[in-house]
Amino acid sequence: MKEKLFKDILPRVSKPVRYMGNEMNIIRKDWDKAKVKMAFCFPDVYEVGMSHIGGKILYGLINETTDHLLERAFAPWPDMEELMRAENIHLYTLESYRPLKDFEVVGFTMQYELAITNILNMLDLAGIPLWAEERDERYPLIVAGGPVVFNPEPYADFIDVFLIGDGEELLPEFLDEVYATRGLKKEERLLRLAKIEGVYVPAFYQVEYNPDGTLKRMYPQKPGVPEKVRKRVVKDLDKAYFPEKPVLPYMSIVHDRAVLEVMRGCQRGCRFCHAGIVYRPSRERSIVTLKKQAENQIKNTGYEEISLTSLSSLDYSGIERLARELVAQYGKKGIGISLPSLRVDAFSVDLANEIQKVRKTTLTLAPEAGSQRMRNIINKNVTEEQLLDAVEAAFQSGWNAVKLYFMIGLPYETEEDLDGIIELMEKVRDVGRKYARRAVEVRGSLSCFVPKAHTPFQWQSQASIEELETKKRYMLREKKKGIKLSFHDSQTSYLEGVFSRGNRKLSRAIYLAYQKGCKFDGWSEYFRFDLWQEAFYEAGIDPDFYTRRRPSYDEVFPWDFIDIGVTKAFLRKENEKAARGELTLDCRHDKCSGCGICPRLEVKVDIKEGREIAPKS
Amino acid sequence: MRLRAEYRLGPDLRFLSNLEMMRLMERALRRSSLPYALTEGFNPHIKLSLGTVLPVGLWGMREYMDVEMAENIGEEYFKERMNEVLPEGVRINKARIIPEEAPSLMKIINSASYTFVLRSGYDWQEWQERIWQAERLPVKSRGKKKDAEKDLRAGIFKIETSLENELAFLNIWVATGDPVNVRYDELHDLLTITGIAARDIIDVYRSGNYIKEGDFFYTPLEKVI
Ligand code: SF4
Repeated sequence: MKEKLFKDILPRVSKPVRYMGNEMNIIRKDWDKAKVKMAFCFPDVYEVGMSHIGGKILYGLINETTDHLLERAFAPWPDMEELMRAENIHLYTLESYRPLKDFEVVGFTMQYELAITNILNMLDLAGIPLWAEERDERYPLIVAGGPVVFNPEPYADFIDVFLIGDGEELLPEFLDEVYATRGLKKEERLLRLAKIEGVYVPAFYQVEYNPDGTLKRMYPQKPGVPEKVRKRVVKDLDKAYFPEKPVLPYMSIVHDRAVLEVMRGCQRGCRFCHAGIVYRPSRERSIVTLKKQAENQIKNTGYEEISLTSLSSLDYSGIERLARELVAQYGKKGIGISLPSLRVDAFSVDLANEIQKVRKTTLTLAPEAGSQRMRNIINKNVTEEQLLDAVEAAFQSGWNAVKLYFMIGLPYETEEDLDGIIELMEKVRDVGRKYARRAVEVRGSLSCFVPKAHTPFQWQSQASIEELETKKRYMLREKKKGIKLSFHDSQTSYLEGVFSRGNRKLSRAIYLAYQKGCKFDGWSEYFRFDLWQEAFYEAGIDPDFYTRRRPSYDEVFPWDFIDIGVTKAFLRKENEKAARGELTLDCRHDKCSGCGICPRLEVKVDIKEGREIAPKS
Repeated sequence: MRLRAEYRLGPDLRFLSNLEMMRLMERALRRSSLPYALTEGFNPHIKLSLGTVLPVGLWGMREYMDVEMAENIGEEYFKERMNEVLPEGVRINKARIIPEEAPSLMKIINSASYTFVLRSGYDWQEWQERIWQAERLPVKSRGKKKDAEKDLRAGIFKIETSLENELAFLNIWVATGDPVNVRYDELHDLLTITGIAARDIIDVYRSGNYIKEGDFFYTPLEKVI
């Protein structure tokens, strides 16, 4: 296999390094001695997949700390796929070059709703039937995890087992049970697996609908299968495994650097934000642990940069001390420290300035909305003054380009809110003209709001493609000099919206879209909205049902049975407060706002380095 | 101080680009305890330069790089420390301290040898004679003037063949850089034009880089000034 690959196949593809393996720090465990063999598949190309922290964590965790084995596979780019099909090469892992079919478990991580077509394509390339019911015990168990599967229902007919929540808590236990149930019939085995907390086996649930198409009820059909599936949570992140010897790619990947996950979760409570709810509560690592991880990663990789990542790293209680100490330790060696996302305030910009001596190119900030009214609705607790302070600090210290992230199509949005975006950008531009030494560039990146399951805005309607296009045209008309606007594709956002609040009926449409050739839907050059529309039509599905409705509070959602810890009552309260434009403060700094997760999951917001860093006003 | 090292890049890493190779060496240096030198300025980087670009798809038996150290160290020490941290497929063969004023590898290397591993069954004596007797050896250029006719004759210096386990190793010394630059894929084309079936070519690698002076081929470790 490897010989054929290296001699006949790889010389003919565009980026052979993607398919080559052999990286530094690769772990090749003894196949015959390993208990469960699992292939960990990322449904996108190598350079995207290898940038993903979750994958690095699970790879190290399973291979270094258990008797099981985990090998990697990625989606081949279409040129490679074509060759693989022509030459009858099954999708293989980069460690042993074995086909996926040889594994007992094949797992996919879903970071993005539209990854599903790539998952189907990868299964097909592996010679594995796509529908769960067509696979008996001769085939690997097909497993999926990641943020998307907090609403697993649209993919329920393809996947045998969903793993909900923090993988490092769940996966080892899951694989142990896979090992313990070896030899059982698939159904018996799944029954055993379904008893593990965080495991969801869709085949065991009966789904009934109301005449209007909404969910009537959903219940387990077998004894011992839980009615609700509760997510798994790492309670003490500081003690959790983190890879200190990550695989070091040869090719340049999207995030090509040492990574410190300073914390997991975010308590800011933006009402549109999925990650902010499903990864609650926020849990930090200690500086001592992080510095040890940095040291070992650098020693084992030779990376030239250390990135402090999380949903909102500037909220990490030890950020200032950690950043300074890392700079002191590594700066001399030519190793840089980076902050991938900045908070909208001067403190953040000053800190970034201090530690990132290089690349003062574009400062990226996310005020998300243009008017204070709208920022209150979405609970983005940022004022115009904070933003202008931040950009002033930036322009004064040598930055000359600012990129601002906004959303359009938000609930209760009016033309004034859109005007607000432009006005805010003008103000930023004016600050730039006053303080910057060169001509300034102010760019706005506008994404389309997508209501997500498990967020306060799950009861909101998504703007139609036409509405979004009208808003876009309006903004382009109103746009002023010295400001640039770019818009996310409204069709892609629409489709994300269908799946983020989707149900099981969507599987037919997914299958048809895949059959019609949809894949790499996240890549604009491959995205074919027309084919998706055909697929919905042929499957008898009205996609507007999922996006356009504003569900009532009585509606049973297909994802309600997934217990994320945060209560539906809290989400409802937040949605009601949004209508009134009321803020809910960050429970890290203010009082508990009663989202429910701490008492219900026996966890706590875990702050390791004191509370001295409050957001500045 | 400056060091010049000769390394082998094994077949498993044959698809690395030049940029990837640079990064591989930089990261190896950073993993090591070697006192590598950094450039001044905001964005310091390691003072490292590679010899002529190894084409993607080829592995290399003897490739070269120059690297600067901030402190004096021994040649053996450098080699050992590097080999501790390099990936499996890369090995430093030799290292040598070179004078500060030594010209860069890119400036002095003017020849390379490529080895084609072939299924034998050809009359290599006869084939060589044909090559040497030809006045012109035209192929389609794969380089700058793509598809224009290019005469390789003046760029072919030396050919040696050896037989081993039913395989023939055809080692061809060619000119690199100006005025003629013979690429390995053009050599490949020359082979197929002159009667060798592409399917009989089992492997190709670069076996060396040289400084050609008259009829002598010096390695970059032998001839530093
Ligand atoms: S239960 Fe309270 S303290 Fe815990 S995350 Fe929710 S709001 Fe914060």
